[in-house]
Amino acid sequence: MSLMEEIIAAVDDMPPFPQVVQRAMQALADPEYEVVGLVDILKVDQAITASILKLCNSAYFGLPRKVSSLREAVVYLGANQLRQLLLSGAASKIFEKPNAGYTVFADELWRHALATAVMAQVLRQSRRLNINENTLFTAALLHDVGKVVLSNFVADKYRDIEKMVEGGESSFQEAEKKVLGFDHADIGGKIAEKWEFPQSIITAIAFHHEPARAAKEFRVLTELVALSNNLAVMVGYGTGVDGLACRGHGLLLKKLKITDQGMEELVMLFQLEMAKTCEVAGVDED
Amino acid sequence: MALVTVGIADLKVSKDPEDTLVTYSLGACIGLAVYDPVVKVGGLLHYMLPDSSINKEKAATHPAMFANKGIPLLFKQCYSLGADKQRLIIKVAGASQIMDNAGAFNIGKRNYAILRKMFWKNNIRIAGEDIGGNVNRTMYMEIRDGKINLKVSKKGMIEL
Repeated sequence: MSLMEEIIAAVDDMPPFPQVVQRAMQALADPEYEVVGLVDILKVDQAITASILKLCNSAYFGLPRKVSSLREAVVYLGANQLRQLLLSGAASKIFEKPNAGYTVFADELWRHALATAVMAQVLRQSRRLNINENTLFTAALLHDVGKVVLSNFVADKYRDIEKMVEGGESSFQEAEKKVLGFDHADIGGKIAEKWEFPQSIITAIAFHHEPARAAKEFRVLTELVALSNNLAVMVGYGTGVDGLACRGHGLLLKKLKITDQGMEELVMLFQLEMAKTCEVAGVDED
Repeated sequence: MALVTVGIADLKVSKDPEDTLVTYSLGACIGLAVYDPVVKVGGLLHYMLPDSSINKEKAATHPAMFANKGIPLLFKQCYSLGADKQRLIIKVAGASQIMDNAGAFNIGKRNYAILRKMFWKNNIRIAGEDIGGNVNRTMYMEIRDGKINLKVSKKGMIEL
């Protein structure tokens, strides 16, 4: 079997993305979603029900009395908190797999995923962009999911990738492509396909390093994920593997009319939001 | 030995010889370490942005996020533990950048520029630094002797 075939086989072996979460996301996509309908979707999964109640009763919210009904918790948390909790819960399980090849600092990939999703949210809000929040958050959160699979295969090639990056000419993703013939974004796209995600998310994951290659209808989404990834890396979130050897898409800053000062404001808003998200998701910020 | 984490947009000072201060994930951010070898007092700051004028309110609640607020605060807190300005040994790391020929993602550069400017004005000398590049850094300070170790992606451990 060629390396690519082996990796595709591994993609096929990946656990499915939880159906309950996908269905809940579809329900939440409608701004006038029905609480009863959402509760019906969620209640079949005991672990998810428990995590929603746990979050609602956590010190973070400091409610005066204990909430014990799922319905009440869903109403109290609201769409944004629920979305974050459900998606990050599902994604954290996928990213938790040990990454032998990429010798990652513990859970560095996961922190980077979360940081990119938070950055995307902050970008969307601060620039008042008309783009679906669910789709953007999901694509940003999962943009590097290809690294999870790839990491199990690159152990012996990893040194070659690293050397090429050290030379200073290639970004990490370019080095992957030169050494392996494909990169983590290609693999990420395949995983998203297997999970039967919408084409928008598949595209954004597959082209987050080369947004100009995305089909026109998904270009804006892909650009936002690319830019959020750039900014999260710049700030230093989750760069254990490849350092800051990531190609910047400066044109996207121009396109969104983000000035130097605008970028500083974004970073500030991001950091405040990230601290909150880490608390909710139970992740160490550092 | 206690490992004391300095978060992002955070600072810590100590005079406990058992302490190691550490800050992770320095990208465009800067880690600034100051140490007085006589009283063995040290402090470490991890700031993200050059100037707090973008938001006065956050400057008050999150001073360590900004160079112009965090740096004076770091020095003050070290003085309050008995450190003396003339004896302070200053080391700096960070200000990395992503690969971007146009230099649009330049917060790292500006983070470093403001530090140089503030130090120049106040006649403060930098004893050691590891700045720039496409790397990420973790910075450790031993309170016992002020030793600064850096873990740098692609390079491994180096002493500053």
